[in-house]
Amino acid sequence: MLDSAVVDAVRLSLLIAASATALVAVPGVAFGYLLARREFFGRSVVEALAALPLYCPPTAVGFVLLALLRRDGPLGADTLGFDPDLLLTWRGAVLASACMSFPLVARTARVAFEGVPARLETMAASLGASRVQVLWRVTLPLARGGLVAALLVGFSRALGEFGATVIVAGNIPGRTQTLATGIYDALQVGRGERALQLAALSVLLGFGAVWTSEWLISRRRRA
Amino acid sequence: MSLLRVEIEAALEHFALSVAFASDARALGLFGPSGSGKTSVLEALAGWRGVARGRIEIAGETWLDSERGLCVPPARRGVGYVPQDLLLFPHLDVEHNVRFAGARDPRLVERAFEVLEIGALRRRAIATLSGGEKQRVALARALCAEPRLLLLDEPLGALDRPLRRRILPYLIRVRAEFDVPLVIVSHDPTEIAAACEHVLVLHEGRVVAQGAPNEVLASREVRGSGEIEFENILRGPVVELSDSTARVELGGVTLEVPRGALALGEETLVAVRADDVLVATSRPLGLSARNVLAARIVRVELGAEARVLARVGAQAVWIDLTEGALRELELREGREVFAVIKTRACRVLSSAKGR
Repeated sequence: MLDSAVVDAVRLSLLIAASATALVAVPGVAFGYLLARREFFGRSVVEALAALPLYCPPTAVGFVLLALLRRDGPLGADTLGFDPDLLLTWRGAVLASACMSFPLVARTARVAFEGVPARLETMAASLGASRVQVLWRVTLPLARGGLVAALLVGFSRALGEFGATVIVAGNIPGRTQTLATGIYDALQVGRGERALQLAALSVLLGFGAVWTSEWLISRRRRA
Repeated sequence: MSLLRVEIEAALEHFALSVAFASDARALGLFGPSGSGKTSVLEALAGWRGVARGRIEIAGETWLDSERGLCVPPARRGVGYVPQDLLLFPHLDVEHNVRFAGARDPRLVERAFEVLEIGALRRRAIATLSGGEKQRVALARALCAEPRLLLLDEPLGALDRPLRRRILPYLIRVRAEFDVPLVIVSHDPTEIAAACEHVLVLHEGRVVAQGAPNEVLASREVRGSGEIEFENILRGPVVELSDSTARVELGGVTLEVPRGALALGEETLVAVRADDVLVATSRPLGLSARNVLAARIVRVELGAEARVLARVGAQAVWIDLTEGALRELELREGREVFAVIKTRACRVLSSAKGR
């Protein structure tokens, strides 16, 4: 039988991963589109900066977020004039997971957009479609499979996030403890059985996410 | 004022494109071997390709004037473009592809479906269509953009020979049924001769010849430049039908052709290879060939590949022969002869119905 801490960890993990994915969906896809289709000044620098979370230790990303969000930090209560109340909350975990997911979502979306022949977009524009119409009626539908995959990759990354999350949100059972931080916690206090349960559930959820994305993509292909 | 006036210069991969022409033809052909710059001219007209320097005017309206820094974007040119790769939207069915062009008049869409006979394909996914069906859908979509100019790049290019024979009639019908000036790129002289009034021959980015297709495409310079198999294109109405043959009026004489799907009274095009016509100086008897037509020689060209241009009824027919035959028969301009053509050497290109 699962104890309440395990149930809480599953609930919070799903809530945090889903929220983080929702948070990065639009900016991540938009950034991917920008990289696939537009030339602009300083593009390579922007690209490298956005990919930074992929190459840095997640704990470093967590530390930067902590420095930004603490009371006297640039995004802290003193500067903003109100308390965003992110540190040591599940919302902070969402922010940390979103930062880690963003580069993966953007990169996968970029590949999806690059797979849409630019000539099809030129044809659509030539037939009188506005830029927004071309995006809405041609580019997005044709990139759909890849974009679904991008969001699933982002979700999976958020689900497994540990380093940045534990620094920003801590590891408070029932409030900020996720599957990933829960496994660590269980091992620290010698509760191997609980760690096993959490690990098994992580595998199940990860498999479910990937399987769902494959199923969605293949169903669309058949349609 | 010409319908179309073009002067463009652009750097291509292997040579510089430098083309200037003015044309009033309702159907203009751009002919030449692969890589001669035909597609680049078409893309410049569509506004898809940047041009280093030049001017493009259609019916007095300027689309491009590099001196004044003017370049009308593709969407505002009102061009119906069918590129070689067709660029049909793979995620939309046939109907939505055609409707993407945003025709304001719903009757236009219905007419395009009818003329191109794609009504039964409305709900089909693009991936399930044959090559010929895709061509017709792309053509319908271009027509539904209500274009001021229709640009077709190798409309039959991707198709194998039997299919080409089935698509060409649609092209001819589009020309007849829709009042849109056409520019057709092709390396097939039959296609150009059947569909165009005027042809420009391109070679390495320059216009090397131009004029009426029957004259230009038959010229030795052009025929020498590629994989040319020249066919005479004869036009006329069907005046008689029998079980297996039909007779086509060529202006004073009639030509017996295979009946196929021809209908009485229908205007048709018939292709006859210059190689498949014989010349007789007196009316031959006891011959299996069904067409022995009175003709008058109007031009003689000597050389290794000698040939004559003969007037048959109201039409001009090129006939290939050897120089020996030419001498022995004493063929010269003005001589009355008989052109002999087998019925089965006549290839009916267009048939308005029943395809």
